[in-house]
Amino acid sequence: MPEDTVADDARPVPVKPISGGSLREAELPAVVAIAVPAAEVSESPFAQGLRRLRRSATALVGVAIVAALIVVAIFADALAPRSPTINDQTRTFTAPSWDYPLGTDQLGRDMLSRVIHGTRISLLVGVSSVLLALFIGVPFGMIAGFYGGRVDALVMRVMDLILAFPIYLLAIILMVIFTPTAGLIGIVKVTGAIAIVRIPIYARLVRGSVLSIKEKEYVEACRALGVRDPWILFRHVLPNCLAPIIVTTTLGIGTSIIVEATLSFLGLGTQPPTPSWGWDLKANVAFIQASPWLSLFPGLAIFVTVLGFNLFGDGLRDALDPRLK
Amino acid sequence: MRTYVLKRLVAIVPTVLMITFVVFVMMRSVPGDPVVSLLGDAYTEEDAIKARAEYGLNQPIVVQYAIWLGKLARGDWGTSILTGRPVLADVLVRLPVTLELIVLSMGVALLIAVPAAIIGALRQNTWADYTATTVAMVGVSIPEFFIGVLMLLVFSIGLGGLLPSSGWVYLPGTCPTMVCGVSLWGNVQHVLMPAFALGVGRAAILTRLLRASMLEVIRTEYVTTARAKGLSERPVVLKHALKNALIPTVTVMGLQVGFLIGGAIVVETLFAMPGLGTFGIDAIIARDYQQVQGFALLTALAFVVINLLVDLTYTFLDPRIRYA
Repeated sequence: MPEDTVADDARPVPVKPISGGSLREAELPAVVAIAVPAAEVSESPFAQGLRRLRRSATALVGVAIVAALIVVAIFADALAPRSPTINDQTRTFTAPSWDYPLGTDQLGRDMLSRVIHGTRISLLVGVSSVLLALFIGVPFGMIAGFYGGRVDALVMRVMDLILAFPIYLLAIILMVIFTPTAGLIGIVKVTGAIAIVRIPIYARLVRGSVLSIKEKEYVEACRALGVRDPWILFRHVLPNCLAPIIVTTTLGIGTSIIVEATLSFLGLGTQPPTPSWGWDLKANVAFIQASPWLSLFPGLAIFVTVLGFNLFGDGLRDALDPRLK
Repeated sequence: MRTYVLKRLVAIVPTVLMITFVVFVMMRSVPGDPVVSLLGDAYTEEDAIKARAEYGLNQPIVVQYAIWLGKLARGDWGTSILTGRPVLADVLVRLPVTLELIVLSMGVALLIAVPAAIIGALRQNTWADYTATTVAMVGVSIPEFFIGVLMLLVFSIGLGGLLPSSGWVYLPGTCPTMVCGVSLWGNVQHVLMPAFALGVGRAAILTRLLRASMLEVIRTEYVTTARAKGLSERPVVLKHALKNALIPTVTVMGLQVGFLIGGAIVVETLFAMPGLGTFGIDAIIARDYQQVQGFALLTALAFVVINLLVDLTYTFLDPRIRYA
C-alpha cells in the first residue's frame, strides 16, 4: 500500500504521512537531513540558513509582523486605551471615532482594547500548543524511529489513531470534554486540545528523519565508541532533524491560531469575558448589518497574525531547505 | 485491481469501528449527559436514574457500544434521546445540503487553483506568478469564517442584499421533507457565498502545492522531449506536465478532508445552513449521544472513502502505479 512505502522508508517523496496539519506542513518532505561535515563549510547550516533568510523580503515582512505582535501582546495593558472587559451601557455600538478608533460592541466595550488583548490569547495558544505538541511528539518520534520493532509499532499505532480522526471533530469533542472556561484555565484547555491533535505530526516527521539518520556512519561510530543511546539521540540524531522541526513549528503556529479562532468562533474556545478574536467575530456577526466594523476588526487581526507566521515560516523553509527552492 | 479495492474496502471497517468507538467513549466522558438536559432543571436523582435505565445509559460503555453496533448492522442508526427522531432520517435530510456545499467548494477550488498554478509555474518570477503566489499566501492565511464575513459585508450588506445572508433553499427534487423552499435560482443564491468561503482556502492551498510540483515537472526530460518532438504547448502542459504534477496534489486534497469537515461546520454555522455541519456541532454541544454517533459514523466513512478514492486516482494519473 502506498502509505506504507512512504512511511517506512525515508525517501523525500510526496508525503502521505504528515496529515492533519495544513498543507504547508504537508508540502515538506519527510526528511531533510542537513548533515554536512564540519570541515567542508566554514559556517554552520543554520548560519547559512539565517543568511538566506535575511535576503528574503517576504520572510522579513513576516518577521516584522510577528515581532510587532509579540510587542503588542507583551505590552497589551499599556497599549490598550481602556479595559477590554469593562462594560459601558451608555456607549454601546459606537462607530469608529477618535475616542474609540475601532468602535464599541454591544456591551460598550472598547473594540481596539479587545483586539489588542486578543493578541495575547492568539499568540499564547498558537505558540504554546505547537510547543507542547513538539515536546511530546518529538521524543515519541525519536524513540519509535530509533528503536523500531514493537516500540515503534505501539507508538505509531497510537499516532495513527489520532491521525485517523478528522482534526476538527477531535478538537471539538476534546473541548466539549474539557468544558471551555474563561481566563488562564480556559487558555490551558484550548492549548491542550490543539496540542493533542498536533502531536502525531511531529512524531511522524521525526520518526521519518530518525530512520535515515540512525543508519549514518557517525551514529555507528558513536555506538562503536560505546556512547549511550540517550546521548546519541540528543547530541547526534536530534540536531540533524532540527530543520524540518523548526519549519513545521513556525508554519504550525499559523494553523494553530486558525484552529483556536475556529474553536472560539464555534463557542468552544476561551470563554468571555476573556477577549478572543474568534469569539468576538462570532458574537458580532449578529450585528453585521448595523455595525459591520465589529466583526471586521477581529477577523483582520486573525488574518494578519496568521499571515505573519506563514510568511516567516515560508521564508524559513526556503532558507533551511534549499532543495525545495 | 479489483482485489485491491476489495481489500481496502474491508480495511475501512476497523478504521470506522475505531473512530466511532473512540467518539463513543469520549462523548460519554463529557460532563453531563442527555438525560439531564431532557429532564430540565427540576428533576430528582431518582428520575434521572430511571431515565438512564430506560435509555440503557446505565450499562457499561462497551455494552452500550455493542448495542449501538448491533442496531447499526440492522440499518438502525438509533433514535435521539433529546428529539425522539431517528438519527438516520435526520442525517439523510441534512446530507444533500453539505454534499452540495462540499462538491461546489471543491469545484471553486479547482477552478481557481489549476489555472493559477499553471500560469504561476509557466511564467515563474513574472508579475503573473507574483500575483498568484501572493493571493495564494493571503488565501491560506484567512480562516473560512472571515472570508464568509467579508462576503456578507459585500454581497448581503454592501450591494443591498444581492445574496441572502442565511438559510437554505433546496434544489428542485431534493426537498427531503414535506415543506421546504425549492427553487434553482434560490438554491444558487444561497450556496454561492458558502461555497466560495469554503473553496477559497482550498484553492489557495492547491495553488501553492500544484505550482510547486508543476515547477518540478516542467523541468523534467520528458517534458523537454514532448516539446522537442513538436507538440504544441497545450498538450505538453495539460497532458504531460499537469497530470504528473497532480499526484502529490491529490494526496494532499485527501488529507484536507479533515479540514473540509471543520470548514463545513464553520461555514454552515455562519450562514445558518441546515447541513450536517450544524447538525454535528449542535449534537456534540447538546451531548446528544445518538446524533453524535451518527455524525461520527458518517464523517469517518467520508474520511476513509475519500482517501481510498485518492489512492485509486493515482492509477489514473500515473498508469505505472498498479495495485495488486
